[in-house]
Amino acid sequence: MKSKTSLPASYRLAVTSRVLAAVVGGYLMASLASICLALWMPVSRADAVITGMMSSFVLYLLAVLWCFACRTAWRAWCGVLLPSAAFATLAGLGLWMART
Amino acid sequence: MKEGFRQAMAWLHTWAGLIFGWLLFAIFLTGTLAYFKDEITHWMQPEVQAHPLDDARSLSVAQDYLQKAAPTAARWFITLPDSRDPGLSVMWQDKVDPGKRGNFIQKTLDPVSGQAVEARESMGGEFFYRFHFQLQMPYPWGRWLSTIAAMVMFVALITGIITHKKIFKDFFTFRPRKGQRSWLDGHNAVGVLVLPFHLMITYSSLVIFMSMVMPAPIVASYGNDTRAFFNDVFPATNNAPALGQPGQLLSLLPMYEQARAQWAGGHVGRLAVNNPSDVNASVNVFRASSDRVVHDFGSTVSFNGNTGELLRVSAEPSLPAAIGGSFYGLHMGHFAGPVLRWLYFICGLAGTAMIGTGLVIWLGKRQLKHAKSGVMPFELRLVEVLNIASMSGLLIAIAAFFWTNRLLPVGFAERSDWEVQAFFIAWGLSLLHAILRRGRQGWVEQLSFAALLFAAIPLLNALTTSQHLGASLATGDWAMAGFDLTCLASGLFLAWAAWKMRHRKAPQAKTERARPLQLKQEAN
Amino acid sequence: MLLALLMCYAGFTALCLSTDRHHGELLHSRPSPRRRIALRVIGWLLLTVSIWPAVAVAGWGLGLVEWCAVLMLSALLLVLLLPYRPRLALLLAGVGLLASPVAAFATF
Repeated sequence: MKSKTSLPASYRLAVTSRVLAAVVGGYLMASLASICLALWMPVSRADAVITGMMSSFVLYLLAVLWCFACRTAWRAWCGVLLPSAAFATLAGLGLWMART
Repeated sequence: MKEGFRQAMAWLHTWAGLIFGWLLFAIFLTGTLAYFKDEITHWMQPEVQAHPLDDARSLSVAQDYLQKAAPTAARWFITLPDSRDPGLSVMWQDKVDPGKRGNFIQKTLDPVSGQAVEARESMGGEFFYRFHFQLQMPYPWGRWLSTIAAMVMFVALITGIITHKKIFKDFFTFRPRKGQRSWLDGHNAVGVLVLPFHLMITYSSLVIFMSMVMPAPIVASYGNDTRAFFNDVFPATNNAPALGQPGQLLSLLPMYEQARAQWAGGHVGRLAVNNPSDVNASVNVFRASSDRVVHDFGSTVSFNGNTGELLRVSAEPSLPAAIGGSFYGLHMGHFAGPVLRWLYFICGLAGTAMIGTGLVIWLGKRQLKHAKSGVMPFELRLVEVLNIASMSGLLIAIAAFFWTNRLLPVGFAERSDWEVQAFFIAWGLSLLHAILRRGRQGWVEQLSFAALLFAAIPLLNALTTSQHLGASLATGDWAMAGFDLTCLASGLFLAWAAWKMRHRKAPQAKTERARPLQLKQEAN
Repeated sequence: MLLALLMCYAGFTALCLSTDRHHGELLHSRPSPRRRIALRVIGWLLLTVSIWPAVAVAGWGLGLVEWCAVLMLSALLLVLLLPYRPRLALLLAGVGLLASPVAAFATF
């Protein structure tokens, strides 16, 4: 942290954006991915849910790392929202198939 | 790009570590103490006598007591004494209208006389255990906060590994007496060398509360019927309802023995009796969690309370359940014998030291830049105050907890609450002291005071009880003696730390400046 | 656990000596390439084989946990001893190796 010059507002905004992408977007992505695991794994219902929950934290970690490693804050959001959309589709498919 | 990646990870490690470091230090230190919570409770309630273990006698004593004290309760719980916890604990839940949760009443019995134990009221080691995941906050906020902290810890660990460029080259490197370099070497040493433990303890703490923080799969898979999920995972909670007709509960001892036979000699941890006065009473015998590493939540043998008929033996857990149980079991360490328990304790202290050294390094690096001007900007002063209060202040609070236990009168009704309040009052006063005193003075004074408090505990024990160090060593009461000796050793260590702090050279602005870490500037 | 501890500590010491920096600190010479390889092999071998006494006594579950604990603590002990008492650090490794057969005899 520079002590004499304060950081520009655009920098602070970008950091805030990355933090939100990591915390909120990452949680969303991890949740949707764990739902997919729970719906698609060929084991008993309870086992699939347990596996989904246990693995979710690794995915959350990867999302957080991505959000700060990528080049721009926009990329951070894309990096969590696009997989989230994919997981959401898979999950929706799984729910629809379970119903029929 | 590689350089940018590492730099970004270093930035994340530094900031995540700072913001949650103070909380994580407290969680780690109290959690580490919790590994010896039974021994701490024993020191804090010296009136509870340990007897040679006799499960049959304990069981009949407990059943008689509950039959007299709570014949119409909804549920009874009996926790048998073991080698670390000499108390025979009985608990019952009042019967109330369906849908409402009855009160739980707990009593500790003497397993020989069958009477409720007359010991001074105290939370004992349970206080540290509960604090480290509930943080003295109302349910469920404390658990949420501690689990969030665990996730940040996980991020900090992984980013730390990524950032540490020479993790193999510097594996054995520790260079003392070299200022900031030594602090960083120390941080790396307790981090890398004990890494398996840190990763295990952090990830397992996430798994322990995963149903609370990551409920999405449960809802997606079970819909509204989340109860069904918990029944699937913990079948022992699915008990036959009361029929409303009075029944006669058989002696629990044959059921105890049948359960042990099912487990090929495994130990019984506790028993739960549902609707004991009903004809449909059911008895669940739970296996002792100290039997195996993998904590098996479902390991129960269930009986009908009136006929003694064996209803159900829980099956071996599936692989996912066993993995979850492994995380739980490894975190709790119930299976650990005395040597392994000490190793757990040392690993926990290493984790605490890792966090503490990190906080000190964060400030130290930035203090160098302001060493010449002599004036510390507000943000750094804030970090300094929080560092002192969260580390030496917490140590003072822990010591105050123990001192209060010995100083308050045994018969004083609210003494348990006051012990806890003393902890927080002492912590608060330490914060105040840290605000009022200049950095190094604050450290030296608080470390010295903590050293004094801890080192004097054996003396305090000798003056206030009959179980002083000489007596406990003579009778082989290792828990009591161990507590006194560990406090003494801690006092000596803190005194050494205070002395080192006092004679430390003032930080010099180095010629090689630590470059400020910053995320890549955004393009626009 | 004792045998595993002795072996882990000796193994880590061997690995430590196989590096130029620490070999120079402890034995005041540079290790020859052959010595370096030999120390590496011995070190890794000791660490790996130390799993066996841990598991043989306590079973796979508890044994692996004890082995991990002993592994971490022996490394910590070595690293803390090295800067303050380097000769003691080496001595402990030597004594540990000599005592291993005795510990093995006592365990089995």
